[in-house]
Amino acid sequence: MKRIILVGKPNSGKSLLFNQLTGLKQKVANFPGVTVELKSGKFEEFELVDFPGTYSLSSISTDESIAINQLHAAMSDKNTCLVVCNLDATKLERSLVFALQVQQLAKQHNKSVVFSLNMVDQLTRFSHQIDTKKLSSQLGSPVYALSAKSLEGLSEFSSALKEHAKHPETAVIQCPTIDNDQSARAVKFAKELAKEHAINQDIALKQQNSLDSFLLNSVAGGIVFLAIMFFLFQSIFTWAAPLMDAVESGVGFLGELVASQLSVGVVNDFLQDAIFGGFGAFLVFVPQIMVLTLIIGLLEDSGYLARAALICHKPLSLFGLSGRSFIPYLSGHACAIPAILAARTIESPRKRLITMVTVPLMSCSARLPVYALLIAVFVPNESYFYGWVNLQGAVFFCLYFGGICMALIVSKLLNTWMTAKDAATDLPFILELPSYRLPHWRPLMYKTINSGKQFIYRAAPIIFMVSVIIWVLGYFPNNGDLGSSYLAYLGKVLDPIFAPMGLDWRYTVAILVSFLAREVFVGVLGTLFSIENADENINGLAQQIQADGLTLASAIALLIFYVIALQCVATVATLKGETSKNRYSWGIFVFYGVLAYCLSMTVYFIIT
Amino acid sequence: MTLWELPKKKQARVTKLDDSMTSVLKVRLNEMGFVPGELLTCMKRTAFNGPLVIQIQDCVYTLDRQLAENIAVE
Ligand SMILES: Nc1nc2c(ncn2[C@@H]2O[C@H](COP(=O)(O)OP(=O)(O)O)[C@@H](O)[C@H]2O)c(=O)[nH]1
Repeated sequence: MKRIILVGKPNSGKSLLFNQLTGLKQKVANFPGVTVELKSGKFEEFELVDFPGTYSLSSISTDESIAINQLHAAMSDKNTCLVVCNLDATKLERSLVFALQVQQLAKQHNKSVVFSLNMVDQLTRFSHQIDTKKLSSQLGSPVYALSAKSLEGLSEFSSALKEHAKHPETAVIQCPTIDNDQSARAVKFAKELAKEHAINQDIALKQQNSLDSFLLNSVAGGIVFLAIMFFLFQSIFTWAAPLMDAVESGVGFLGELVASQLSVGVVNDFLQDAIFGGFGAFLVFVPQIMVLTLIIGLLEDSGYLARAALICHKPLSLFGLSGRSFIPYLSGHACAIPAILAARTIESPRKRLITMVTVPLMSCSARLPVYALLIAVFVPNESYFYGWVNLQGAVFFCLYFGGICMALIVSKLLNTWMTAKDAATDLPFILELPSYRLPHWRPLMYKTINSGKQFIYRAAPIIFMVSVIIWVLGYFPNNGDLGSSYLAYLGKVLDPIFAPMGLDWRYTVAILVSFLAREVFVGVLGTLFSIENADENINGLAQQIQADGLTLASAIALLIFYVIALQCVATVATLKGETSKNRYSWGIFVFYGVLAYCLSMTVYFIIT
Repeated sequence: MTLWELPKKKQARVTKLDDSMTSVLKVRLNEMGFVPGELLTCMKRTAFNGPLVIQIQDCVYTLDRQLAENIAVE
């Protein structure tokens, strides 16, 4: 299939345009020799590929150089028939600096270029119009004015795009080739064009600046920031709860359906305990990840995330981090894996490394079931101050907060240990504050659905395997008698590790197994406490544990252990992929494990 | 004087990008609009010597002290 590639400066409305042109059918594109995932979708008979937004063709950070290498690869690919470069009509000059460089690159590869002049609805508000005919002839490539939001000009653009893609010779670049110092020439030429065509900046930026003077105010802005964060965490619990219940009852219903169809026996036990009990339990967290992705997406598309990074820059820099570390930290509360990938946007390699290494300390949603179980065992469900403060909720908050504090402490230590030599390669902090815009539901919805899908694809195989193995070891040789199973034998050998914390072999097994993925802790304990569907019935399991006589000190030690330990193979693999060093993947895995063990042990001894 | 010393709501012209910065970074700053002769406005200064917010041409940027001290303005 012939390909059209879509490029543009960040925040130029490129994602929305991509979504409007391609609709539902999106997948991950594959270019030869390209390592990072690109979104691709079908536009008529062509494949449209969305490239990450970049400011320039010369890179200053890792994520940029990856994106730019991809662009070079795509330009030389013979299947690429057309390049669409998206311009932000409200920021014409900046968009053109990049666009002119892209045009030169395309010319070198004999590709045709079409410009989409997006966001013209914003210009009509100020009754400003851009003469696209004139701009086209000055640029030497066709320019189409459109708005991906209000859809004006979009149908004209898409039929023109189809024609140009079918006959690339209709969009051959009509401008001279520049061999040296392209960047300087682009800066100069963009200025000339902007002077002639662009809207007065002060008019266009007026609204943004007056909003900013409130949202970036030291007092009011700080309060708004805290309120948004509070709302975010609240909504992970409240919005996701009904969805999680729905998934839970869905899995339970399926389990019963299957059970009623099968006769009692090993197969039935296997399906119930391992598949529906163990594997089904983890599907329950998918809604939480999706809700968090949705809210972060909302903050990003509206333009607030850049302001949040600015507000956090100073406090985070005290710990050797950057304002941009805020975004990975935030998404780390859903799942560490996308958060580690998000650290790519951090300007300095050193801060990026510190951020990636400390992200796993954020209480990701896989820790939730563990927290929920142990809190249900030990913390009474009482409310104070007319229901505003719930004791269990407060303990949850402390655990989250503890994770963040730990991450800041580790960052500080790493920052002191790293030598001054690394500091020299540090890039300074500079960030564009994009205009505030009302987000469009389409890209948000795709992002949300994809986050759920990807989480399942990534975590499913390992959780499936663990569930099966634990079940087999716990079920045999005496068909269902746990006390005499292989697992019990193994557990008793390993018991001395956690015995000093007052935990018996069943906990030891659950903890050790959860080094693969922490969410299996509850499932394993559930199986071991021989309750069917342990996760669906946490209160049942909690009561069993209470009756079993787990002490408060052990439970607190266990919670601290789970706050710190990096129990997730997928995270270690991602860290290894991103840092390409064992030191920062397995090294960190061991370090957090030992730290968690020592700290929880210390706390246990202080309490008892 | 440097951009860092520019008070709030005041305008200035970029005169020079300090030579201590790498050439890649200087090229990028040029592309972002920091070209000698360009007019910029300090929109906001944040508490405790936090990052500045400036408007240059059609963009608003936030930048920290380290960078602002490397941009000379008048
Ligand atoms: N008013 C208006 N807003 C737009 C238009 N295109 C995109 N947006 C909004 O601008 C914001 C950034 O767009 P996005 O597609 O994420 O930009 P990207 O970073 O280039 O992918 C989003 O909130 C969009 O809803 C447009 O044509 N008009």
